[in-house]
Amino acid sequence: MKALWRFLTSLKTCAWAGVAFCVAGAVGSVVMGSYPELFADMDAQVFAGWFARKGIADPAPTLWLYGLLLATALFAANAACCTFERLVQIFRGTATMRRLLPHVMHLAFLGVVLSHLVSAVYGDRIPGVAVPQGGFAPVGGTGWVLRLDRFDAVMAPEGYPRDFSAAVTLFRDTTPVARGVVRTNEPLFHEGYGIYIKNFGTTPWGAPYAVFDANRDPGATAILAASLLFTAANLLYLFPARRNDA
Amino acid sequence: MEGVHLILFWLALAAYGAETGFRLAGVAPASWRRSPLFVGVLLHAAFLGLRWGLSGHAPMAGLFESLTVFSFCCAVAGLILCRSEETAAAWKPLSILVLLPQAGAALIDKRMTPLYPALDTPWFASHVGLSFLGYGFFAAGLSFGIVFLRGGGDAVYRAAGRSALYGFSAFSAGMVCGGIWAYYAWGPYWIWTPKEIWSVIVWIYFATLTHLKFIPAQEGWPGWTKRLEMGATAAGYGVVLLTFLGVSLLLRSSHSF
Repeated sequence: MKALWRFLTSLKTCAWAGVAFCVAGAVGSVVMGSYPELFADMDAQVFAGWFARKGIADPAPTLWLYGLLLATALFAANAACCTFERLVQIFRGTATMRRLLPHVMHLAFLGVVLSHLVSAVYGDRIPGVAVPQGGFAPVGGTGWVLRLDRFDAVMAPEGYPRDFSAAVTLFRDTTPVARGVVRTNEPLFHEGYGIYIKNFGTTPWGAPYAVFDANRDPGATAILAASLLFTAANLLYLFPARRNDA
Repeated sequence: MEGVHLILFWLALAAYGAETGFRLAGVAPASWRRSPLFVGVLLHAAFLGLRWGLSGHAPMAGLFESLTVFSFCCAVAGLILCRSEETAAAWKPLSILVLLPQAGAALIDKRMTPLYPALDTPWFASHVGLSFLGYGFFAAGLSFGIVFLRGGGDAVYRAAGRSALYGFSAFSAGMVCGGIWAYYAWGPYWIWTPKEIWSVIVWIYFATLTHLKFIPAQEGWPGWTKRLEMGATAAGYGVVLLTFLGVSLLLRSSHSF
């Protein structure tokens, strides 16, 4: 038990997890291009669903993902145990509070990993909801129907879009539950889902249409909070006085 | 005005070239404020500021702007970390690392193009600017690593440690901005593409490196010495180059030029 604890708190474990992560990621970045039929739809659904279907069915080309997940898990366990050990030292009075700052970064890192896990399991991806202007389209299995009230595009003389936006209304049954203008970088949020405009065009009968994605990332807010905590602790850590003997 | 801003670009390139020439010839300026590189940084800042004003967006889109910002960040990182007499030797390799991207940019189409709507957000400028600042510090790390491996020196060792730490901090903040941007622009804050994977590789690499510094004091690691640490700091720049140029140019990526 002691040996396991030493392993989990050791900086050597951190080093080897880092090496394993980098190697697995580098291999994966190349393998992804070799198996486009396997990896192309990776972002069209939440990771857990994709991995359960394709990672297990075809383990050879996804072996690097197993390595990446194992290395991440080892990193997280290493950070958690290291921080627990330091908290015990502080509680017992054998370490000062000044030495806590790197562990705030550890906790923030753990927050990001765990929140990402929540998004990867309980999130939802609904790609390609195409709606003509004035028309309706169901939004996946949410029970909502999206109406495109109006679509506007500002085109540059060279022919590419400078700005485009869509006024939309979201209905449950026949009751409108949300209304707003969706444009690039400005999604419409409702009940944990973000509605994003992805594409647009003209139907064969000449009406404009827009294509939307709907995404739900239940861990996103926690990831943002943890990331900001990490950044704040990181900035404080840059002051040498706080870094001594950390 | 469009022509003037490019004159500033060429003058900055000439200043960086002069700095590299002097350093390779073994001629050092009396102080960093009197160096051609410092003049180059001022000209370069004026060029980037003017281009920002003329184009209406942060000059960080496309290969030309990316390379010239990369060069600028390498120079700024050097000025921040490399001002003492003990660390001055690092200017020789670093001046080359400043010059090369700027010279590369000189070979590329410099026309200003409107920004694609998804890039038209402050998160884009923050993400790219902070990431490149991180890259600049990592470039300084390569220079300190080379100098330490050739001649040692505690001041150089400490400066190399700061380069990894500052670079890691800037790069982390850049990743946070990138995640926020992606969340508002496309939905997911993370997608599975080679560029994103390599960005995390850079982050993990330098996160690990900043931890390994503490190994000798604790328990030792087979063969982990200051020299190996400096070698790893220097090699980190290779990981950065693969992420910035290798992945964007060789693999299909969300960040292709």
